[in-house]
This record gives sequence, C-alpha cells and structure tokens, in this order.
Amino acid sequence: MSLTMKASQATAYNDTVVRQFAIMTVVYGVVGMLVGVIIAAQLTWPELNLGIEYLTYGRLRPLHTNAVIFAFGGCGLFATSYYVVQRTCQTRLISDKLAAFTFWGWNLVIVLAVVTLPLGLTAGKEYAELIWPIDILIAVVWVAYAIVFFGTVGIRKVRHIYVGNWFYGAFILAVALLHIVNSMALPTSLTHAYSAYAGVQDAMVQWWYGHNAVGFFLTAGFLGMMYYFIPKQAGRPVYSYRLSIVHFWALIFTYMWAGPHHLHYTALPDWTQSVGMTFSLILLAPSWGGMINGIMTLSGAWHKLRDDPILRFLIVSLSFYGMSTFEGPMMSIKTVNALSHYTDWTVGHVHSGALGWVGLITMGSMYYLIPRLFGQKQMHSMRAVEIHFWTATIGIVLYIAAMWIAGVMQGLMWRSVNPDGSLTYTFVESVKATFPFYVIRLLGGLLYLGGMVLMLWNVLMTAFKGQATEVRIPAVAAAHA
Amino acid sequence: MEILYLLIPLSVVVVLGIIVIFWWALQSGQLDNIEREGERILRAD
Amino acid sequence: MNQATTAPLQGRHRVGAEAEPEVLALDATFSERPRGPLTVTDNFAVLDDPIEQREFTQFAEIDGRRMAQSVLMVQGMFCAACADTVEDALCHLPGVVKAEVHAATRRLTVQWDPALTRASALAQAVGRAGYRLLPLHEALSITQRIAESRKVLWRLFVAGICMMQVMMYAWPAYITEPGDIPPDIEHLLRWASWVLSLPVLLFASGSFFSGAWRDLKQGRVGMDTPVSIGILVTFVASSLATFDPNGPWGHEVWYDSLTMFVFFLMGGRYLEFKARDRTAGALDNLMNRLPEVCDRRRSDGQFEPVSVRRLEVGDVVRVQAGQAFPGDGVLIQMNATVDEALLTGESHPVIRQVGESVVAGSYNLAGPVEVRVDKLGKDTRFAQIVSLMEKASTEKPRLAVLADRIAGPFLSLVLLGAVVSGVYWWQIDHDRALAVAVAVLIVTCPCALSLATPAAMLASAGSLARRGVLVRRLQAFENLANVHTVVFDKTGTLTHDKLQLVAIHVREGASQADVLALGGALASGSLHPASKALVAASQEGWGGLTLPPVDVVSTTETVGQGLAALVNGSDRLWLGSATFCGVSGEALARGESPRVHLADEKGWLATFELEESLRGDAVEAVMALKAAGVTTWLLSGDLPQAAHRVASLVGVDHVVSGATPEQKLQQIARLQEQGFKVAMVGDGVNDGPVLARSDASFALGTAAPLAQANSDFVIQGGRLKDVVSALGQARSTMRVVHQNLAWAAAYNAVSVPLALLGYMPPWAAGLGMAISSFWVIGNALRLNRVL
Repeated sequence: MSLTMKASQATAYNDTVVRQFAIMTVVYGVVGMLVGVIIAAQLTWPELNLGIEYLTYGRLRPLHTNAVIFAFGGCGLFATSYYVVQRTCQTRLISDKLAAFTFWGWNLVIVLAVVTLPLGLTAGKEYAELIWPIDILIAVVWVAYAIVFFGTVGIRKVRHIYVGNWFYGAFILAVALLHIVNSMALPTSLTHAYSAYAGVQDAMVQWWYGHNAVGFFLTAGFLGMMYYFIPKQAGRPVYSYRLSIVHFWALIFTYMWAGPHHLHYTALPDWTQSVGMTFSLILLAPSWGGMINGIMTLSGAWHKLRDDPILRFLIVSLSFYGMSTFEGPMMSIKTVNALSHYTDWTVGHVHSGALGWVGLITMGSMYYLIPRLFGQKQMHSMRAVEIHFWTATIGIVLYIAAMWIAGVMQGLMWRSVNPDGSLTYTFVESVKATFPFYVIRLLGGLLYLGGMVLMLWNVLMTAFKGQATEVRIPAVAAAHA
Repeated sequence: MEILYLLIPLSVVVVLGIIVIFWWALQSGQLDNIEREGERILRAD
Repeated sequence: MNQATTAPLQGRHRVGAEAEPEVLALDATFSERPRGPLTVTDNFAVLDDPIEQREFTQFAEIDGRRMAQSVLMVQGMFCAACADTVEDALCHLPGVVKAEVHAATRRLTVQWDPALTRASALAQAVGRAGYRLLPLHEALSITQRIAESRKVLWRLFVAGICMMQVMMYAWPAYITEPGDIPPDIEHLLRWASWVLSLPVLLFASGSFFSGAWRDLKQGRVGMDTPVSIGILVTFVASSLATFDPNGPWGHEVWYDSLTMFVFFLMGGRYLEFKARDRTAGALDNLMNRLPEVCDRRRSDGQFEPVSVRRLEVGDVVRVQAGQAFPGDGVLIQMNATVDEALLTGESHPVIRQVGESVVAGSYNLAGPVEVRVDKLGKDTRFAQIVSLMEKASTEKPRLAVLADRIAGPFLSLVLLGAVVSGVYWWQIDHDRALAVAVAVLIVTCPCALSLATPAAMLASAGSLARRGVLVRRLQAFENLANVHTVVFDKTGTLTHDKLQLVAIHVREGASQADVLALGGALASGSLHPASKALVAASQEGWGGLTLPPVDVVSTTETVGQGLAALVNGSDRLWLGSATFCGVSGEALARGESPRVHLADEKGWLATFELEESLRGDAVEAVMALKAAGVTTWLLSGDLPQAAHRVASLVGVDHVVSGATPEQKLQQIARLQEQGFKVAMVGDGVNDGPVLARSDASFALGTAAPLAQANSDFVIQGGRLKDVVSALGQARSTMRVVHQNLAWAAAYNAVSVPLALLGYMPPWAAGLGMAISSFWVIGNALRLNRVL
C-alpha cells in the first residue's frame, strides 16, 4: 500500500508524536531557562563561572540560546504544527515513521548541542553555533519535517488550506534555505570548519540568517500557532481572515531584507545598513496586522479574559509581540541604534520577544493541547496555570524593565565625552553601574523559570492522571469544499 | 560587497518562487471564499 | 492573459438544434475591423434558442412591432471608452434600435427587432470588436465571477510583490551619492530590477496593453493608451540604460516608478472590481438562492429530484428546510416558516399557513413543506425584482454621460501634451525629457472623472438593495437629492393597504347579506384595497352572514373611481366612490372612515364602512422628513374627513382630498411650476401617471404587481421610514458625486501642469494617479455602509 493511501485511509490522528514533542517542549523549557538563569547569575556574579571550563559563560550562553530557541521553541513548533496540520486537513500525518524520525532526530540534535557546546566546540555564529556534523543532521531532520508537513497538506481532505498552515509552511521552507546558506563551510576536522564566507561578507550572511531566524522561526512559525490556538481557546473565528492572508504575504517578503540592521556602524557599507533600516521600518505594518488580527478576535468577548488564564497567556503574548515589533523597527533606526547597539537594551528587546511572545504563546498552546492529548478536559490544576501566568508576566516585566534601564544607561555612559574630548566613564564603571539591574533581571528570570517548573509539574500530573487516547478523524462529507 | 552576488540573485529567485506559489494558491481556489474559511476552524475536529 | 478558452457557451448540447442562422448583411466598414483582444470564436447560436433567450430577453409591442429587449454582460472591458466601442459595434447593425452599456457593471441593454436580426448576430458583432457577450444569468454565475476575481487579484499580487522587491533594489540609489555604490553592484541591482519588472509587464499589465491596442486599431484614444505608452517607454528606456549604461539613452532607470504605478493602477482596478462585485453580489445573492434541483411529486406519490428548469405550473414540490422555494406557489398540507428577506429586507421568520402563498427565492426555515407551484421563472415575483434591478443599473445617469463625453478629448490632449513636453525637454536634457513625458502620461486620471458618478450611485444602490429598497433608475439619486416636497398617497401608502369592513348600511328593504355578496362579487379581481376588503369580508363570512351566490356577467373598473358591473342577468350595479355611484345627501357625512358605496339602477343601495389603519412608522417618517426640511403633502381621492383624519394623525403640512387622478396630476404639476422638486410616494395601483410625473417616485411594492409600478424606487417591505433613508442616501450620494467630480477636476488641473513643467518625477506621478483613483472609489465605497 502506498504511503499516501495508507495515510488517507487512517481513521485516527497520529497524536503520539505530538505528545512526545509536547512533553519535551516543557522539559526543554525548564532546561533552557535554567541555563539562562545560570548565565544571568554569572553575569551578576562572575565567580559563578567556578573556574570550570564547561561551565563558563562563554560556553553556556550559546547552550542557553539554542536550548530555548531550538529545543523549547522548536519542539513547540513541531508539536503544534503536527497537531494543527492534521486537524485542519482532517487527515493523519502522511508518514508515522518519518514523523517519529523527526522526533528522535531533533532530540539527538539537542543532546549533541548539550554535549558539544560546553565542550567549547562552536562555529562562532549567533544562533548557528553548532558544528558542521550537527548542521548536516539538522538539514536531514528538516527535510524529513518538510516531507511530513507538506505531504500531509498534500493528502488533505479539506480543499482550503487554513492560514496557520501557510505560516508553518513558510517557516519550514525559509528555515531550510537560511540554514543551508548560512552553514556553508569547509570542514577541516570533525569538529571544525571554515565558513564559506569571510569578514563582513560573512557578517552580512550571518545576519541575513539571524534576522530571518527571528522572522521565520520565531515569528512566522509561532503565528501559525497563534492562528489556531487563539480561535480555538476563545471559541471565536479570527477577527479578519482576509487580513490574515494579506499580512501573511506581506510579512514573508518584507522580512528577508531587514538583516543589516544588526550591523549598523560596522564595516558594512553605509547604504546597505540604510536599506536594512528602511525595510525594518516597513516590517512594522505586516507584523502589527497579525497582532491586531489576533487580539481583536476577542472583540465582543473580552470578558473571557477574566476567567480563562489560558486565553490570557495567548492574548498577552500578542501584546508583547506588538511591543517587540514596534521596538525592533525603532531600534533599527540608525540614530537610535547608535545608542542601543551592544548594550543590554538589545538583550531586553530579544527577551521581550522571546519571553513575552514566544514563551507565552507556547505555554498557552501547550495548556490547550496537553489535556486533550491525554484525554482530559483541562489541566490537572487551573490554579497552577493562573499562578504561572502571573509569575511569568511579572518575571518578564522585571526582566525587560531592568534591561531597558541598563541599556540606555550603558549607551549614555559609553558615549559620554568630557569637554576635552576624553571619555567620561571607563568601561568598568558602566559594568559596575549595571550590577543592580543584573540582579533584577536575574530575579525576573527566576520567576519565569519558576513558572516553567510549575508548568512541568502540572503537565506531568495531567499526563499521569490521564491516558493517551486515540482521536478519530471526523468523517468528512463528500461535498466538502 | 561581493556577497550581494549571492544574496540578490537569491532574492530574485525567492520572489519568483513566491509568485509561482501564489499562482498555485489562486488557481486551486484557496482565496475564493475567504470570509467563510475563518469560521471553519471552530468546527469540531 | 485572455480567457478565450473558457466560453461558457461552448460545449452546450441542445436537442433539436436550430439550423445555423444566416449571417445577415452587415455594415461594410464594420466587417473590415480586425479582431480585438478577446479572440471570440464562440458559437452564439444558443443565444437564439427561445428557452435560453427567455433568461435575458423580454418582448414587447412597440408601435405595432414586436421588439426585444435583452440584458447581457460584456466581458473584456473596463471603462467608459470600452463601452463606446461595444455600443458602436451594435448601433451600426440593422435591427438594433438602441444599445447602452453601463461601464461600471458591464451590463448591456439592447433593443432590437427580432424580424431583422438575431441575438447571435449581436453577439458576433460585439465579438468582432473584441468583447464577448454573455447572457446575464451565466454572467452572474459564480464560476464566472470567481475567475474574474482571481484574475484581478493575481495581477495585483504580482505587481505588489515585484514592486516591493524592486523598490528595495532601487532604494540605495536614493540614499547615496553617485559613486558610493561600486558600479558592479549598481549594475547588479539594476539587472535584478529588470528581471523583476518582467513579471509586472507580462502578467500585471496585460489589460492595459490589450485595451490600448484595441483602441489604437479603432483609431481612438482610450484610458489605457497613456498608461500603456508610459509603461512601455519607462521599461524600454530603463532596459537600455541597464544594458548599455554609456549609450545615448542616459543612465536613469525607473523600474521602481514603473512597478509602483502598475501596482497602484491594479489597486484601483481591484477596488473598482470589488465595488461592482459587491453590488452584483447583492443580486447574486438573490440569484443564487434559487435551488438547481428540487423534489417533485410523481404521479405515484413518490418524490424525485428534478432540475428546477423542468418544473411546470401545477407541480407539487417538496422544499426542505434551508432550501429556497423554486417558484411562487401555494402551501399544501402544512404550514411553513419562511424568510422573505429578499422581498422585505427583514429577516424575521414569517409563518405562512396552509393555503397561503410563498414566493420564489424566499427560504423555507422549519421542516420540509410541500408547495403547489403557480408561477415559475420569469413570472415569479423574484424574477421581476431581478429584472428591475438589472434595468436600473444599465441606464446611465446624466452626470456620467457628461463625464464620458469629456474623457475622450481630454485624453487626446494629454497625449499631445506629453509629446510636446517630451520634445521640448529633449533639447535640454534627454533623461529629463523621458521622465517628463512619462510623468504627464501617468499622472492624468480621467478614470476618476468617469468613475465618479457610477461608483457612488452603484454603491448606494447596493446599500439600499440590502435594505429592501430597489432602485430602478440610478438617475433617481440625483433627482431625489434635490427634492424638498414629498407627496403621499393615502390609502395603501400612509395607511395599510389592507382595509377592513366594519359596518354595512343598507337601503330599506335590502339585506346586508345580499349587498355584501354583491359587493364582494364586483370587487373580486380588483386590486384596490377597498375591493380587497370587501372580497375578504364576503369570503370570510363577515358578521356571520351567509351570502347568496351572485352571477357576475361583466365588470369594468374605472381606475380610482369604482367598478361597474352587470349581474344576475341584467342588473346594473356600481361600486365605488360617492361620485362614481351618483350618491349624495344622507348617505354621506357620516364620520371619517373610508367608505365604498353600492348603487343600482334605483340609486343608492348600500354603504360599506371600512377602516384603515395607519402604518406603524407613518408618523415617524413624516416627522423625520419635516426635520430634514421637507414639506409634506397628502394627496387623496378620498373624502375630506378621511383625508384630514389621516393627515392630522400623521402630521403632514398640506392636504388635498377628493382628487381624481387628473387632479392629482395637476397638483403635482402646479407644485413643479412653482419651482419645487416633488417626490411622490404611492402604492402603485392607480398612481401610475402621477408617479411618472414626479421628479422622484416611490412605490410600496407589497400589493400591486411590480410591473405596474412606474416608480424610481420600490420599497419592498412597505416601511415608510425607507423613504427617509432613501432621501438621506440620495443626498449623501450626490454629495459624494460632487466631491468626486470636484476632486477629479482639481487634481488634473494641478498635476498635469506640474508634470508638463517638469516638476513631477515619474514615481510621484504614479503615486498621484493612484491616490486620485483610490480617493474616488474609496469615497464612493463609504456609501455602502448602511446609514
């Protein structure tokens, strides 16, 4: 029997792989955030490097970024995309075997990252630190992912492809392109390779990748999540389906050229920097289209926010999304960037997007998903969900406020010049001044981590209490559009 | 900025690819009855 | 991209096809014209098939000749100039009396003589001009509209995405000094821009080029001409500059301007399409509610599914919940809950009892019901409504005609101006010359002028249609907007058209039962509310009376006055107003309620006292009109007491009572002579001439067959408040039209000189033109919102 025939005749969804990924999302969330808290503590108290090479900040930082983006975020995307594509296409995944391969393959990637990064094996490129053999593994897993996802869309029983799937699809294709182009390298040994690009050329490719990683991995993919879970949890259709389609197309082709804004005042030619700035500003519109669409879905039903903490996760995530997508373009303006570049304001911006948008939307989606994956009506403890929401939100606010203040302060201190032309402050003085804000940031991070731990407990309790049931695919009428 | 010799033709190819995909979407009726599709998500799956 | 391959008429398979019609002798010059942008090879013979023709053609006797009037859709045109081409193609044919195309909806109304020509010949003639005629029901069908919608969206998308990317490539040139960008990179950027301008040229600009080509072959200048020239010139010049940077063509490239103005133009077209689509959608909504298949009862009592087209009068059909009734009919066996929103604009479910009628196109809401079909197809109320709507949108309002006339010569002037300015600037600076010429071509926007009026009126017509008010003539908006006097008919207009019998006064010696029987018999068949009341009373056994049978030999109705009849052999009777029955004295002066008198050869026989109730919103409507600065009149044929009673209840400013139809007409004329613009609101039964005479007219369409309504607006739901909203809508419409026209004029007056003088770079021209079009259409779309 051919692959497609077998899948089309299946009567139940493949939720096994979804369950697996969902649990791991929460597990890796704790892991990634724990590492984050550790390195935050190390920045505050460098003694915490403990003199152990594997635990130094320089090696743990990429572990943190990879863990939260690719392990936590990645598993969340895998879990939800597999769930959403099956249900919106009313068909089982095209290949259980390939889907299972993506699960084990992806986890292998993460395990390898956990091993290699503290060992100091790195390609030295932001969000692309993993050494070349792992890059190849990523590419292989990704191809399998694309086959599973697009193949399932191909055997769909519903003619229309729901907008969320377009976002997931764009995310998968874009990441494939970005990863392959950016990871081009000439290996010299099993653990080392030279980038195919050099100097400022490499920087340009790196930040073309880097910004699109944000744009497609962390934005488009999670917008796919948002477009499914918010209507479902709110019980209302998306505010304007037409807008969702328009903003999809607008988003994907505007994002491609915002990269240079990471390279203001570097060796990159001035005009390239300006192009990046302009297109980053233009990007504001499609981004906000998505935010408005999502938030206004609750139009006429705002009262639901009062009683439903899961909905709160989802909607508040959009507010942070809106905030970050406003802040980003502002920071890409050269004059603003002159102040913010290399300061902790950038870190604040990243984390408002990461903790606020990516984190909260994933948590909200998991809280929707996990009970259903285990045959339960809701999470083991809604009280815990409530507490999680508040600790997470407060944690975020503390984090970003601390970083804003620190960042602006650093920028001002660094540029401050005495009448005679000498710098007013030494670098060390700015570091000292930043100390209290690092403490506050650590506190915010701890709260956020705490919430995540609570979530892990809640999820495990729900899983043990419930049982993995098979969900039948509803029969589709012959005349389905 | 030799890297532009890679990135710019790449972007041309991407845009042409996007045009092809949009053509497919249009012809297969994805964009015909937009108003109703948003509601479909709320049906039991 | 032409849609030449999917003609809906191809592949039609008819049993007993007629022989191929003879090709009629055509105007010699016409047959020399080459084919246009649409390659029209369809076999139009099917248009001559009587069954098919019924869908889009009506026949009427005019001056002793049988004439046909057809409404068809024209495929392949966008603007005023195109409409001219199609009209020209038809007007030269023998047998064609009148041809009018409404640009905004692409509807053609053509009057032709079936003895001299055929529908297929008309279609062939239009086909030779490069457009395709489609019978309207096909044109409204979903597949057609979807295909068009897709095409418009495709063009917009290609233009948009290429524009965004090309702008990105062009941006560095704007923000750097010459020399900042290494020449090889500059070349790379231009090359990339060239590649991405190709899709814009090939896919998105097709309609401009084909339109311009068509106009060129017919030796005229159309709206597409300057645009096409602009696009081509820009592209060619930019290509030359890209591939031969040191050549004589200078080194400016304008790929960004090019893609931008194609995008904006397509944006304008898209909005325009959407506006048209929405109105067609209001109609489409009506059309698409007729089911294609329904269950018909066979002779053995079982139900079988049959196509709606095969139903006949007398068939019993079963209509499921959620289905629309396929024809007008009578309910048998069970009651139905129906949604008659298509008639009244209201979605309250209405209960129809067994024996009551249901209307084609209304929805059956509760369980399955059985209906015996009375009327099908063109005879149904539904079809009449649709027919009214279609006729309305093909008649061109006065202002639109004016605008079209100006557009043509204006465009020729613009072309001339572009050439002149180009030549002038060439002496000074080559690059500049091209930029100026292109700017002049692009910045001008006669489309705003041509679109201004129809876009606004159509949007309003659509908005009103959704509320249950049908607009027969778009020109009515202009007329109504100037109206400051509204005249109401009384019976059936301010009051419900249903009267009730409350008392019968009889001559000594006569019995109530007898006179009621007589009255009912005479009145049957008359649509006057009084008649209907009598008929209802006689049928329902009013007052517990048992009525003797009456044998009516013949009846004659004198509109507005009464009925004269011959009954029971040779008795002559009169039923009607006091004057008509020759009644006076005692019989009169008895209170204020309306009465109908019965008289025989001996004189007064009986008086039927009827009661009419005021329409629920009559007072509100009149108050609202007064608040809007309108003087209100009540014009009635009824007695002073009755008229004054209603007048005082409702609050009109002036009353005229006891008026015959001629007197009513005179009253209107007098008001008009005094300089007032008058709107008349009537129930359409006997107000025909008066409605026609008024500057704007409303008919409450509930009782009388629509064909009798000679009015501009038909208020389906019988709500007088709709008069007020129509007035408001008309005033807003005219405001918008004037805004649009003023804008179009001002914009052209300012921007064209600027461009000629060289102050306008091409990208600004594109932007300006786009803004101009968007403004006009957007302004018109505001009228779509329900006030």
